[in-house]
Amino acid sequence: MKSFMKVSPLRLLDMSVEKKLGPGNLGVLIARAGVGKTACLVHIAFDRIFSGESLVHVSVEETPDKVASYYNVIFYDMIKILELENEEDLRLMVERNRMILSYVKGSFSVDRLRRSLGNLKQNLSFAPQTIIIDGLDFEVTPREFFEELKGLSKEFSTETWLSALSHRHKLTKNEEGIPYPCSEIDDLFEVIIHMDPTTEGVYLKLLKDHGHTLGQHVSVRLDPNTFLVVS
Amino acid sequence: MKEDIQKLRNIGISAHIDSGKTTLTERILYYTKRIGVIHEVKGKDGVGAKMDSMELEKERGITISSAATHCLWKGHRINIIDTPGHVDFTIEVERALRVLDGAILILCAVGGVQSQSITVDRQMRRYGVPRIAFINKCDRFGANPYRVLNQLREKLGMDPVLLQLPIGLEGDFQGIIDLVKMKALYFEGPHGESIREEEIPDQMLEEASSYREQLLDAATMYSDDLAEAVLDGHETEEMIHLALRKATLAKTLTPVLVGSAYKNIGVQPVLDAVNMYLPSPTEVETRALDLDRDEAEVFLKPDPGLPVVALAFKLEVTPYGQLTYLRIYQGSIGKGDELIITRNRKKIRVGRIVRMHADEMEDIERGYAGDIVALFGVECITGDTFTDGSVNYSMSSMHVPEPVISLTVKAKDNKSQENLAKALGRFSREDPTFRTYVDPETGETIISGMGELHLDVYVERMRREYKADVETGIPEVSYREAITQRAEFNYTHKKQTGGAGQYGRVAGYMEPSKGESYEFVNAIKGGVIPSEFIPAVDKGFLSCLEKGPLLGYPVLGIKVVVNDGQYHPVDSSELAFRQAAVGAFKQAYMKAKPIILEPIMKVSVECPSEYQGNVMGSINQRRGIILSSTEDGTFTTIEAEVPLAEMFGYATVLRSLTQGKAEFTMEFSRYGKAPESVVEEIKKAKTTSRRGGK
Repeated sequence: MKSFMKVSPLRLLDMSVEKKLGPGNLGVLIARAGVGKTACLVHIAFDRIFSGESLVHVSVEETPDKVASYYNVIFYDMIKILELENEEDLRLMVERNRMILSYVKGSFSVDRLRRSLGNLKQNLSFAPQTIIIDGLDFEVTPREFFEELKGLSKEFSTETWLSALSHRHKLTKNEEGIPYPCSEIDDLFEVIIHMDPTTEGVYLKLLKDHGHTLGQHVSVRLDPNTFLVVS
Repeated sequence: MKEDIQKLRNIGISAHIDSGKTTLTERILYYTKRIGVIHEVKGKDGVGAKMDSMELEKERGITISSAATHCLWKGHRINIIDTPGHVDFTIEVERALRVLDGAILILCAVGGVQSQSITVDRQMRRYGVPRIAFINKCDRFGANPYRVLNQLREKLGMDPVLLQLPIGLEGDFQGIIDLVKMKALYFEGPHGESIREEEIPDQMLEEASSYREQLLDAATMYSDDLAEAVLDGHETEEMIHLALRKATLAKTLTPVLVGSAYKNIGVQPVLDAVNMYLPSPTEVETRALDLDRDEAEVFLKPDPGLPVVALAFKLEVTPYGQLTYLRIYQGSIGKGDELIITRNRKKIRVGRIVRMHADEMEDIERGYAGDIVALFGVECITGDTFTDGSVNYSMSSMHVPEPVISLTVKAKDNKSQENLAKALGRFSREDPTFRTYVDPETGETIISGMGELHLDVYVERMRREYKADVETGIPEVSYREAITQRAEFNYTHKKQTGGAGQYGRVAGYMEPSKGESYEFVNAIKGGVIPSEFIPAVDKGFLSCLEKGPLLGYPVLGIKVVVNDGQYHPVDSSELAFRQAAVGAFKQAYMKAKPIILEPIMKVSVECPSEYQGNVMGSINQRRGIILSSTEDGTFTTIEAEVPLAEMFGYATVLRSLTQGKAEFTMEFSRYGKAPESVVEEIKKAKTTSRRGGK
């Protein structure tokens, strides 16, 4: 999967000091509605799976079928664009190393996730290195929740990626330049990425890289159709 | 005679096994004077309870098929369907709930909310059935109705409200405190038929007041009048009943009563609660689909003057013909009326119309909207909608759970074979969750159902009712073969020993195709094989797919390309080229590294979240791959792919792992490569069966 790795959105982190999110840490993608947070998270998932890791994809309020269909669409696009031949092997690799956990009707909690991860480990010997959480409403989620989530990441030695919805009309930023809805809780995240759609493509801009000072415009440009790195 | 529909109640009694449903019903029939003598369920007096009319039911002490009866209580007519509690008979409960307006959920004061209580509650919610709860067996050792009340909240997510308190428990259970009347009730006489009202015992006053306060808190949410009256201290019994009724009909509150049917304590108040809190047919919204307007939803009104709409919810074959139980939703049905079955537009004339009382019939002239009746001699299936022809409506189909377990069934002799066929025909007509078919590959007759007990009972019925002596076994899994790489062939079929000979040569290659289907490509150039022989070549290859050379299983997903060959001007024929193709196939097949494929099923297990780990483990042990898990409040649904060969007996395992609180469905997903260990077992089994001359 070398060809995919070269164009995976996580190449953004190659330009960072730490080069990765790391176990026990939280990372977040911030973007407005429709920009492609889920697609980007799915690409991150593929990046981790094809690197030989296992992953849990947590969906808040969407069913597993919907989540799986995101993966399928992006997978088959990728196969076509990158002209990959070992489709069946790759598909099996994804199936074996990805677990979708869906929490609907307000069921999501860190405790429930902890129990599920425990069950996966005990009964299936499935211990993910990465957790993706998509669909969490940052506007109504208290700080304590993210603190607990960070605790869980450390407990299970996973790196946890989340998506956060921003709004056109809510432009507040904190002193570090971190926009709403993460401006009050940015201390809990080691990596913060902003997705900015332009006419040339979607820019992934690194806003926080652990505690390091960032140079100007650490970013990559993604093809808006494939979410693969163009430059 | 038409009666006041407001005073009609169509109710079901549902619960977990051995919660005392049939005992309760027996008492109800006694107090409403439908029967003169009470018979216990396990037939201690050699007779058996009235509602357990089937022989097997009486023998095993369980209720198998639902039976219907009706009774009168304080000016109300109550149609009761007594339904089985075993999870294997879910279809009976589903059917009953589809046509009933209200239900009594019975719980055991000792066992509390058990597996089938959860399933039944889910069924009641699915059909929007308002219910009251009766915590039975308060006389048993370990009885704790207060624990059961909490379980109703936690495990079923209900909002239960106690209307009564037990006076004493276990061996000391003497009576109940009615929290609405604030009186103690004692049940006296040989069968508890007379009720003595007394003041509440002093030692229970405080507790009673506290629970009454909780009752009023809950009820006042539904009545401003009651709320005001409570503030003034002037609330009346009627106000409380009205508020509770409103809440029950809205399905936001569940009134809870306590008692012991066996000890004849607390049954009459249950009947009062049915009258007071459960709906009449006019208070239940019923919808149908208008087939003339693209299945647009229409609301039915229980008005005898409107066009007839009725639903057949149970069929029973009796010595006198088929008995069809109908719920009349609209209009009326009388002797001599002409009806139409919506499904097939067949006209039927109503001959005899009866009201059922377990297995006894009572002839009537006419049945009216809201009522449950039975017709004789009507050919139809469960779920059929009947109208008078002036409307073209269909009731929405009943939710029918998919069968989860299958067995082979084989008659031991010819006479049994005939009888077996009749039995299978009847059972599958009566019960949509009982299915039967002949496996085209193995020739075995397969029966499938909701569980081992479900099939066990049918096999027993085949033996007893149809005198079909049968043996059962596990069906064979339908494996497949597939090639994994390209292999060339170049084969000549030649028989030229004088006279008319045969000659044909085909050359090319085979390789795995993209899908599961067979693909034939004619890449012949220069007419080396004349075009008239090409179809024969195709047919030759096709004929080899039925039984693959590896282990005799059908071959999937193969692409054959013929790009060269040779013919003889005299000896070549269709037969010759067909044979050449067969030879070419055999020549190349093993070089193409064939493998065995096994059917992989998509399995979906729904269980309380506390069993997520157990279920995951059980799937993992069956070579399953878990794809996802969805949590929805207290329940988790786990989706997985599991080889079919590993799923036999899973229903029983799942039941024991989750105390019967889980359900699962299974459907075919795809074929996957069978592991070496499985292939070895198949080879061994085939060798053994060949040696055994089976």
